[in-house]
Amino acid sequence: MRARYSLYLFTLPALAVLFLFFIHPIILTADMSFTSFKGIGESKDIGWRNYERIVSRDRYLDAIWITLFYTVIVVPALTVTGLFFAAILHRLPAIRNFSRAALYTPAMMSFVVIGYVWQFLYSPLNGGINVALRDLGLGAFEQNWLGNPDIALFSVAFVQVWMFTGFTCAIFLAGFAGIPEEIGEAGRLEGATSWQRFRYLELPLLGPSITVSVILTTIGTLKTFELPFILTNGGPDGATRMLSIEIIDNLFGQYKFGFASALSIIMLIIVLAVAFVQNKVLRDRELSS
Amino acid sequence: MVRTLLLGSSLLFTTAALSQTTLDVVAWKGNEAEPAGLPELIEAFEAANPDITVELSYVARKDVDKVIPPRLQSGNPPDVTMVDSALVDLWGGAGFLTDLGTDSEWYGRIQPAVSDILTSDGSILVFPLEVIGMGNFVNMALLEQAGIDKAPLTLGELKDACQALAAEGIAPMIFAGGFPAMLFVGANGLDPNNNLAASYGSGERTFVGDENFNASLDAVRDLVDANCFDPALQAGLDPWATAPQEFRAGNVAILPQGAWNIGNFSSVEGLDYEFAPMPSQFSDQGLALDLIGPGWAIPTDARNKEAAARWVDFFSVEDNLNIFLEAEGAYSPFTGGRSTMPDLAAPYTRAREQGSLILWPFSTLEFPKPLQSEWEDSITGFLLDIDGANSETLQRWDDTIEDNL
Repeated sequence: MRARYSLYLFTLPALAVLFLFFIHPIILTADMSFTSFKGIGESKDIGWRNYERIVSRDRYLDAIWITLFYTVIVVPALTVTGLFFAAILHRLPAIRNFSRAALYTPAMMSFVVIGYVWQFLYSPLNGGINVALRDLGLGAFEQNWLGNPDIALFSVAFVQVWMFTGFTCAIFLAGFAGIPEEIGEAGRLEGATSWQRFRYLELPLLGPSITVSVILTTIGTLKTFELPFILTNGGPDGATRMLSIEIIDNLFGQYKFGFASALSIIMLIIVLAVAFVQNKVLRDRELSS
Repeated sequence: MVRTLLLGSSLLFTTAALSQTTLDVVAWKGNEAEPAGLPELIEAFEAANPDITVELSYVARKDVDKVIPPRLQSGNPPDVTMVDSALVDLWGGAGFLTDLGTDSEWYGRIQPAVSDILTSDGSILVFPLEVIGMGNFVNMALLEQAGIDKAPLTLGELKDACQALAAEGIAPMIFAGGFPAMLFVGANGLDPNNNLAASYGSGERTFVGDENFNASLDAVRDLVDANCFDPALQAGLDPWATAPQEFRAGNVAILPQGAWNIGNFSSVEGLDYEFAPMPSQFSDQGLALDLIGPGWAIPTDARNKEAAARWVDFFSVEDNLNIFLEAEGAYSPFTGGRSTMPDLAAPYTRAREQGSLILWPFSTLEFPKPLQSEWEDSITGFLLDIDGANSETLQRWDDTIEDNL
């Protein structure tokens, strides 16, 4: 009995830190979301007006939709590319370490550097991609990559996938390392091809890695700010304006701290809801397989 | 004896140190990338005021919003801080800035249009440092290749230049959907002879049925017809990184931007360019678009107010302010005095001198802040659907104004 109390006692410092630096700011943000606070001076209570404004204006609903759509593009793409490279590198031990480091390098670089480099590559005026296409005789495929609202979101998503494929690949390689050698050996003895071993033996055993990868990339992508901010600043005409950009614009562009807090609370609810549902579905799937 | 001497000298040093004031100044200029003449000015100020040591803290503009408000609210502000019109409105409105006094010597010398904007309820909370021009950067060497020897100042000249440049295979103009396009649309929508900016900003007058702004959007279509630019190609172009880089590289002849780029462009060897006013339907000399730049403010709770006032007064001396203006490529907000602008800005300076100018309404807060991002977005949308009705674009501006009231 005494030992159980001691255990609770030992968790107190961690709980205090958690409350002070995570729960308390959320409570303050929620409180601020019911005010018209401008970041300085007195704040005025305005009830639910900020939330009413969010649900009654297309602009903010569009931002929520774009954020979700962007996540739907990026997360599967990151999962598939990460899994693809991990499966190949698992079979090529001689180049595994070097390739893993090479793939991970973009994830270690600054968003700002990557954003500006890709902005010049995507530029419709003498940008690297269009020039390369032209030189290869593929001028018909030249695009205004960031200026065309129909493809701008995909162009930004591509950079994010390029940047973080190494991250998901590292997670899956750790998953592959946890699969006992005997299982692959048994598959080979039974005459299974490489694809069959991957599909029917390795993929089911990578369940926990897939859960971790999907949840981490989903949370990270829902909160994405830097790349769309640098590459397009939400443009053209709002085509890549995500919730995070809207929050920053209201905070420091218009000094609407109360309204930005309301948007942040909406974002938190979305992230928590998506992460909870995903976790439940993926865990259930792991157990059933 | 020796002990007495040592004691005496240490007392002397202590007294001197105690009487020395350290002036805490915060600014988003004065670092290595954008010195704005401040190192030189601090040296001169300290020489003229030996009892004051200036401690300049560089804080990037985007960080000022996070760094200074906590200091203002905790009663521990800097003695002097750099502010722009948005910060004056926000901090001054909350009572955190000192009235610098409309009875001060320099107040009477501020250009009337500027002082009208900066004075509120009989008080002035900011000492204005500069007025920055916005217009067209024109690559004269490229124009010459097309047989043109002067920067275009009217809409007709601009269209002729575009056609001549395009015929020579030269990209005539950057017209990125954000800032550059806004400058053109603003210059052709706001009549300098009948300033209605405040009426639009207050919702008293709407954009949607407005003759001037409809004509302004039509003028954009005329530029497209004159081969000035491809609207779909330029709609999403980054106005702050890609666009200036294209001009620096000599890939394009005309770039609408702000005079703060003069230093950047002048560092390119062999780039022969001029800074000209924006061609406008309202003027034959081109329209100068002046942006009210930052200034100095003294927080209400500043510890060294007397020293802070001396710092502000120091900048009111023309020779001192000119050091700042020369480094910035900016005009003085005060009447009279010697211009420090380089010769390459002569066309712009001429338009100002002839009174062909407006104060950019986003810098005077006559247009509310949210309208700026709506302008950027909606003009980009307009370029992407250049044949769409003007009302689709203009209505969005009215909706934003209404939303902000």
